[in-house]
Amino acid sequence: MRLPPQPNERIDRSAELTFSFEGKAVSAFAGDTIGSALYAGGRRIFSRSFKYHRPRGLLCCSGGCANCLMEVDGVPNVRVCVEPARAGAQVRAQNVRGSLERDLLSVVDKIGGPFTPVGFYYRTMIRPRRLWPYYERFLRSVAGLGRLDKHARRTNRYDVEHRHVDVLVVGGGYAGVEAARRHARAGRRVVVVDERGGDNPGSDFELVAPARAIGIYEGGLVPVDAGGILYRFRADHIVLATGTIEQPLLFPGNDLVGVVLPEAVRRLVEDWALKPGERAVVIAADDRGLDTTDVLERAGAVVVAAIDLRDAQPTRIEAKGRRGRLRSVVVGDREFACDLLVASGTPQPAYSLLAQAGARVEYDRRRGIFLPTELPANVEAVGSVAGELGSAAIPAASFDGHKGRCFVCLCEDVTEKDVKRAIAEGFDSIELAKRYTTVTMGPCQGRLCHLASIRLFAREQETGPDSIGTTTARPPWAPVSLGLLAGRGHEPAKRTSIHHRHEEAGATMMWTGAWRRPHSYGDPAAEARHVHEAVGLIDVSTLGKLLVQGPEAAPFLEMLYPNRFGDMKTGRIRYGVLETDAGRIMDDGTIGRLSDDQYYVTTTSTGADTVIEWFEWWNAVWGMDVEIVNLTGALAAVNIAGPRARELLARVTDIDVSNESIAYLDAKEALVAGVPSLLLRIGFVGELGYELHFPSPYGEYLWDTLLERGADLDIRPFGLEPQRILRLEKMHILVGQDTDSESNVLEAGMPWIAKLDKENDFVGKWALEHVRERGFREQLVGFEMDNGVVPAEGGQIVADGSAVGRVTSARLSPQLGRVIGMAWVRSDLASEDGELRLKVNGNLETARVRLKPFFDPDGERLRS
Amino acid sequence: MSFLLPCPNCGPRDVNEFAYAGEVTSRPRGAPSQRELASYVYFRRNVAGVQREWWYHRFGCELWFLADRDTLTNEVIRTELPQPGDATPAVEQPAVPDTPAV
Amino acid sequence: MTGLAFLSPDRAERGRQFEPTLASPLTRALGGDARVRDLSGLGKIEVRGDVDAIDADVQVVRISPGRALVLCAYERCAELRAVLPGTVIDMTAALAGLELTGERAMRRLTDLDLRELPAVGKVAEVPAVVLRDGERFQIFFPQEFGHYVAEVVLDTLAGIR
Repeated sequence: MRLPPQPNERIDRSAELTFSFEGKAVSAFAGDTIGSALYAGGRRIFSRSFKYHRPRGLLCCSGGCANCLMEVDGVPNVRVCVEPARAGAQVRAQNVRGSLERDLLSVVDKIGGPFTPVGFYYRTMIRPRRLWPYYERFLRSVAGLGRLDKHARRTNRYDVEHRHVDVLVVGGGYAGVEAARRHARAGRRVVVVDERGGDNPGSDFELVAPARAIGIYEGGLVPVDAGGILYRFRADHIVLATGTIEQPLLFPGNDLVGVVLPEAVRRLVEDWALKPGERAVVIAADDRGLDTTDVLERAGAVVVAAIDLRDAQPTRIEAKGRRGRLRSVVVGDREFACDLLVASGTPQPAYSLLAQAGARVEYDRRRGIFLPTELPANVEAVGSVAGELGSAAIPAASFDGHKGRCFVCLCEDVTEKDVKRAIAEGFDSIELAKRYTTVTMGPCQGRLCHLASIRLFAREQETGPDSIGTTTARPPWAPVSLGLLAGRGHEPAKRTSIHHRHEEAGATMMWTGAWRRPHSYGDPAAEARHVHEAVGLIDVSTLGKLLVQGPEAAPFLEMLYPNRFGDMKTGRIRYGVLETDAGRIMDDGTIGRLSDDQYYVTTTSTGADTVIEWFEWWNAVWGMDVEIVNLTGALAAVNIAGPRARELLARVTDIDVSNESIAYLDAKEALVAGVPSLLLRIGFVGELGYELHFPSPYGEYLWDTLLERGADLDIRPFGLEPQRILRLEKMHILVGQDTDSESNVLEAGMPWIAKLDKENDFVGKWALEHVRERGFREQLVGFEMDNGVVPAEGGQIVADGSAVGRVTSARLSPQLGRVIGMAWVRSDLASEDGELRLKVNGNLETARVRLKPFFDPDGERLRS
Repeated sequence: MSFLLPCPNCGPRDVNEFAYAGEVTSRPRGAPSQRELASYVYFRRNVAGVQREWWYHRFGCELWFLADRDTLTNEVIRTELPQPGDATPAVEQPAVPDTPAV
Repeated sequence: MTGLAFLSPDRAERGRQFEPTLASPLTRALGGDARVRDLSGLGKIEVRGDVDAIDADVQVVRISPGRALVLCAYERCAELRAVLPGTVIDMTAALAGLELTGERAMRRLTDLDLRELPAVGKVAEVPAVVLRDGERFQIFFPQEFGHYVAEVVLDTLAGIR
């Protein structure tokens, strides 16, 4: 079936391989594509068309059109004409019920024509309404291209690679290689990207092939699809040598199997030594097209007619066939029996990437093509894409015939009649007509139908293509698989240095922002109770930690927080709440004074990055003499909490741990189990507790040591959920849980924090003054349910039929044996013991307002 | 978005290395009226054209800087480190943490 | 000012039945893979102020006009904390580090221009300091991302054919 060896053939006749098509073995040579091997085996029908299920064969043979889409190894819509043949590949036809030769759905072509014009789904099949579900089910089953396996798993590996080069050349043809050499000679690092590949041309530039540039984005970013790798090229200079695209002619029967573009002939013969047909007719508008006559004759085909459109244009061209295959061609008043028709109009420069880069596109009346102009700086066009073309005729917008459909867009099965009809219906702009008819919106993305549709449009509107204009060129210029765009899909996760101990202890891990944290170690209620009764240990390394130091550290903090800090004694800690200038609560934490001009600030776990950036921002504006150092990751932190916490601490440190020496809200540096640590006596969970902050590489060591030395005190780790129960018992707020974009410290029940009489200005001061003047609208209060129902967070509080508040937190407290929570309520309802009506699962439940902490309201246990 | 932003310290980098903090605003002094406060906190010029704005090199040198950027084309005309006192940050609303935690 | 002793792992003391042991956040993820060297144990000291005044026989990476990272052997931390100029902050515990070989792998991890190193920028979606010695690359990044970064690096190396 093959021709004798061709001078530049790409096949290696000594290396045979086999793949399967529809379950049958197909043999191929190395260097074959799936398409060429199938062609060698005698296959001529490669697909069934999108809408009418008409037989389609190889047309461009260059990976541009949709005529050879098949499913390869489960991946749909593979252009088999350019897909290398691989041993063992499983290839199937798609969009077919039955076989490519006998497709049951081709009935649409026979009878459906008049009933399925463009946009038919907008106006037929919608009545009677009750039948729509059936229509819809049928349409869904026949619509679309290809099938995806819903249970498919990630099989192919896709990587993303970033490349910085001086010059990127897209297109490795003659002009592209010339330009590459020119830039290389000037000492620049050059990479050439080419769709076809071939031999590496040597050392002056790097060739990336086979690969396709899929677009040009802002900043000169050029993503290149190289199969399993997406290269993200950033180049100082981009050279586009994308060449031209051969354009089909519009005539009745132009989609028959056997109608091809000149490049298909060249590739079949020269690359794969295949004979494209026995009797051929050639109709072309330029030399390159007509040259296929020689190619065909060398391959042993008979060229029965060669028509140069530059000489004279026939009014009539019509292809006739049987069962979708070409039988004869009528040109003017002559009819030629043939099985191959090579037909092409003016080649159109492939300007899409240039247009994406910002070039203007203008119609060249003389040559009948669109040409890129006004290229942006750093972008260069060379070769035929820049308009370096031989003489060519401008073909008629369409040629007449007696019978048969004349297709403008093969991908979407849009006919000349459809376009005319759309214009008649009032879609008189090309952008609107495109969206209505879907012409240019198929897999070829306008490569083969953009120019033709504009030309047709111009003729019907009795104007020139220049006044019709083009549709906007957008990425992707080449089809790209979503897996390639997704890449490896890694998700950055933060883990504390104690993380693996939690996993080993069987903790349920959860996400809090980017952090992985233990939700609990199995029994949140028991863990919470244990903190009250004995001693618990929790990993709080995720807390944001900042050092603020310098001569102006105190005034800096006083301008950021509503609190005062200048009057704090060294070694003391204060709770602080950050606000924005809108008065909104942004974050909270503790501020400890380490020395005159050193403060240690903690933030919430998820707020750490925001707070650090916030501090840096204001410092960039104020330019004060302070250093802000992010210590979040440098330090691990654990909280030892519970009545036996002091006893445990005494076992692992030499310093005096008595209540007099380290009182509530004291900060002290000490060696703990030999590790240099900062001790903060804080009571977030409501019991005597010490936070130890120490170098993170000692995380596992100190965690283990504390559990070991506290074993006889029955120390147990506790997770985030028990901590949430414990803090709720103390009515300690969680920023973002109990507060939102409207919350301020005054209404959130923390008026003591805002020192509005402070001499200096602070961020949020004016907004708080405004709140004070206007009076409270709503307040954050605690509540206690009358029964054991736990209301949903976000649940409504109602009075007289309207919403007067919302629940922000609610838990069953195992210690108190009651359901407690926090809620924002209208301020007139915020009085101790006041009744609240909560909507829970459609019922109204009663709760009582509580203004003091549920547990240890006077903080005796904290200070003990 | 894939444009390059020239950090005054690190040079041109992919914009995804930076945090954007909105147009530069002017923080009132003294005791602003409610109208002045509302205007400062909530209102933006939102120009279609060149705008002076705050950026932070989050994945790099961790410096705040100012950029003149054309909001229509994303062309960055120039960038510079701030001089103390010459501008005040806009009150960007930091995202509410999706999972509150301490 | 206090000396911020609690930032320095080398200030730990043995004795009284305590044997403080350092651990690297990369150990588990790397699993002894020979292609990646764990540099988390190096000394890392941040200097703020006049970074040009640093006059010590150490590797210095300038992060911004007033900020630099000094890399040194763990044993030299104490000595350098004493002699480095400006504000000196021990970041040994804050940063994990690793070394890998191969520009190809590096290009899959970062968009940084590998001709212009050292630099600070995004590597594997996290902030990092990157240094280069021929085909060997050293990356330092927040230790809390250590396990994740090590996993990504190994996965990336697995994809190089």
